[in-house]
Amino acid sequence: MAKTIEIKNFSYKYPDGTVALSDINLSIEEKQKVVLIGPNGAGKSTLMLAMAGFATGQGEIIVKGLKVEKKSLKKIRTVIGCCFENPDDQLFMPTLFDDIAFGPLNMGFNAEQVKIRVTQALRTVGMEAMAEKAPHHLSAGQKRAAAIATVLSMSPEIIALDEPDGSLDPRNREKLVVLLKNLSQTLIIATCNMNFAAAIGDRAVLVDKGRIIADGDAKEIMFDTKLMTEYGLERPAIVA
Amino acid sequence: MHMANELLSLPIAGGGLVVAGGALGLICRKAKQVITSGKLALMGILGAFVFAAQMVNFRLPAMPGTSGHIVGAVLLAIILGPHAAAIVMASVVIVQCLIFQDGGLLALGCNIINMALIPTYAGYYLYRIVAAKPFSNFRTYVGVMLACLIGIEIGAVLVPVQAALSGVLVIPFSTFLITMISVHFLVGTVEGIVTVTVLVYIQQVRPDIVAGNLQGKVRLSRRTALATFAVFTIIIGAGLSLLASGMPDGLEWSYAERPDQPNFEPIISNSDSRIAAVDKLQSKYSLMPEYSVRNNDEDEKHQASAGWTSFAGVFGSITTMAVIWLTAWILRRRNSGAIVTR
Amino acid sequence: MHHAYIDKFAYQDSVVHSLDARVKFIAAVFFTAVVISLPRTSFAILFCYTVGPFAVLVLGRIPLKFVFKQILLVSPFILVFALSCPLYDKTPVKVSFGPSVFQTTVGWMRCCAICGKFVVTMLALIALVSTTRFSNLLAGLRKMGVPKLLIIQLGFLYRYIFVLIDTAQHLLRARAGRTLRNLGPKQEMKTASAMLGSLFIRSIDTAEQISIAMHGRGFNGNWRTISRLKISNNDYIFGVFFVVFIISLYFFASTVLN
Repeated sequence: MAKTIEIKNFSYKYPDGTVALSDINLSIEEKQKVVLIGPNGAGKSTLMLAMAGFATGQGEIIVKGLKVEKKSLKKIRTVIGCCFENPDDQLFMPTLFDDIAFGPLNMGFNAEQVKIRVTQALRTVGMEAMAEKAPHHLSAGQKRAAAIATVLSMSPEIIALDEPDGSLDPRNREKLVVLLKNLSQTLIIATCNMNFAAAIGDRAVLVDKGRIIADGDAKEIMFDTKLMTEYGLERPAIVA
Repeated sequence: MHMANELLSLPIAGGGLVVAGGALGLICRKAKQVITSGKLALMGILGAFVFAAQMVNFRLPAMPGTSGHIVGAVLLAIILGPHAAAIVMASVVIVQCLIFQDGGLLALGCNIINMALIPTYAGYYLYRIVAAKPFSNFRTYVGVMLACLIGIEIGAVLVPVQAALSGVLVIPFSTFLITMISVHFLVGTVEGIVTVTVLVYIQQVRPDIVAGNLQGKVRLSRRTALATFAVFTIIIGAGLSLLASGMPDGLEWSYAERPDQPNFEPIISNSDSRIAAVDKLQSKYSLMPEYSVRNNDEDEKHQASAGWTSFAGVFGSITTMAVIWLTAWILRRRNSGAIVTR
Repeated sequence: MHHAYIDKFAYQDSVVHSLDARVKFIAAVFFTAVVISLPRTSFAILFCYTVGPFAVLVLGRIPLKFVFKQILLVSPFILVFALSCPLYDKTPVKVSFGPSVFQTTVGWMRCCAICGKFVVTMLALIALVSTTRFSNLLAGLRKMGVPKLLIIQLGFLYRYIFVLIDTAQHLLRARAGRTLRNLGPKQEMKTASAMLGSLFIRSIDTAEQISIAMHGRGFNGNWRTISRLKISNNDYIFGVFFVVFIISLYFFASTVLN
């Protein structure tokens, strides 16, 4: 299968000198659903930021054949849609419509095309009726879905989600699992909820202290009780 | 100190809107060159911060029962520069009016001038002048304190001035002025102290944010604080004695119409040509003719008939409102029978 | 929290809600202008003007209880101002209303006039903002020439005040939970500024996250939105009603006054 993302010997330090990622090698194939698991502060989010070109360090990251560097950023950000941890940061416009239209408008689509894209994205996440709502009137689950819609409207080939299950109750988490499972794009999801990870991922990458500890079939890794407890994680409770 | 519509006449309110609008237009054009795409979100959030910060109140020393809160103009001006800060503060005032109904719609122009434009620009440049190089802890303290105090005071003084120009004052101008000055003296002082301490906190935690406008390290120090207060006492003492040496008599005027109290005339300096001109302007641009209070016997009959017309008007209005309400109620009941609303 | 729902009525559906934001905004401004230029001593005319905002509020299904609560909430400053009038102007005056004539002072009349005008203009403002979504109002203001930069600011502000007010409240609750005695002014000040400081740092972090999210969706400094405002037949009908209302009241007022 074609490689969508290739990361070669990538290292990254925070401005204050702390090492966030060291010597990461990872390649992700098309249509794969990859879960990045690991304890808090392991470097999952930074790895995701690096893929979208928000954290530049040593080494090489290639997204869809494009090297991540300043001049290719515009293209890369239409290929990889990032959804960050807090939906309140992702939804920054006064209405949902404006928010979902923000990406497509920046990509240069005209008003008609944008409207179609917004409607489609809203339908995918099941929120057609809420286009004119203000984000602060949405529930936590709706905000999460809306945040995903803001990325979907740009029809990226890769969707990266940082802790999408954060602060969701079980029912909303279940809805989110169904939504994410039905997406056809390549998915990269960072999470520390193993049940959630097991329900979606077909490949798991265990990250700790800025290094990749294990990489392979999701079930194999997550049901390895010894490995999981060693890194402060837990075995999923259910067999997905 | 939000102005309400009723404290302004149409020409003053309109003038305020024009001035504020024009200034904001200019500032926006100017700011476009300074504001990078990354700064847009920061400006927006800092505006929201000003709102949230106003909720963090604390008990004022020596004044139980009252509480102060920060307004933030000087803090924003130091962090964002005066243009961006003015835009942020203006948007705060607009949202206060349009979402929280604080301050009238027509008074918006005056409110933007008093609470956004004046405190940011006056405050910022005062701060720059006082805290200019070489950097010292003391200069920064005094600069910030003065900037907060004077910025807020000018804005506060403009409130009675605008009201007086509008001719709505019944309270003597000087009373209103002195009340505003003394209340905002407290507000400004507290704001100054809070701004200094918040700046110190920010510099400890995120020095990069204030790097551009703070040339050195500001520390909290008792000695500097005492020195600052000494300077303040002197300034205020001087100010108070100036005030005591006599409010300029020309300012002492009131607009109450009292045809039957001739002994009130001398204080009312309506004879002042400028005020007469304003007065003329007022009546010229007023949409309604001014109605004088009639109390003479010959007017008794006229007044009685006017009383009946008023009576008819009020009852007509009440009937109309009742009809509107009933119609809406009936319509709603019919609708809710047909389709489930919401 | 109370504030998060302050604009909930703007999201209802009704005839008035569907009117164009620009039409309503201009009407509200003009109405306010007329009301504040009314003579200071004629309550009857003032009262007649309440019919306008009242009709809008009722048609928009805005609970009047909410409206009056809101007016009370913002009234302290104007109340102080109005109540000081009777203290300064004690000129006696006779007022006749229908069959009854009573004796009062100019100060009291002023006081009532100020309060009355305050209530009527507030009714108009609340009628505007509780039947108009803020986003539409912004789009309308943009079309009427308000600078883009200011509109962007207002958009952000509207979006994030509720988020930050919540944060501030959590901080306040945390402080209240741990403050078991009166701390004295120095300590009080210290806690307050530390709270403001941390609130500020959190705001900056939020801003940075938003900035990343914006750039992640291809933002390059050029702010684009699609306006969905359209003037419809209802807007013309509303306009006609409004003009008729204002003109007829003007004539009524003139007859009362002369």
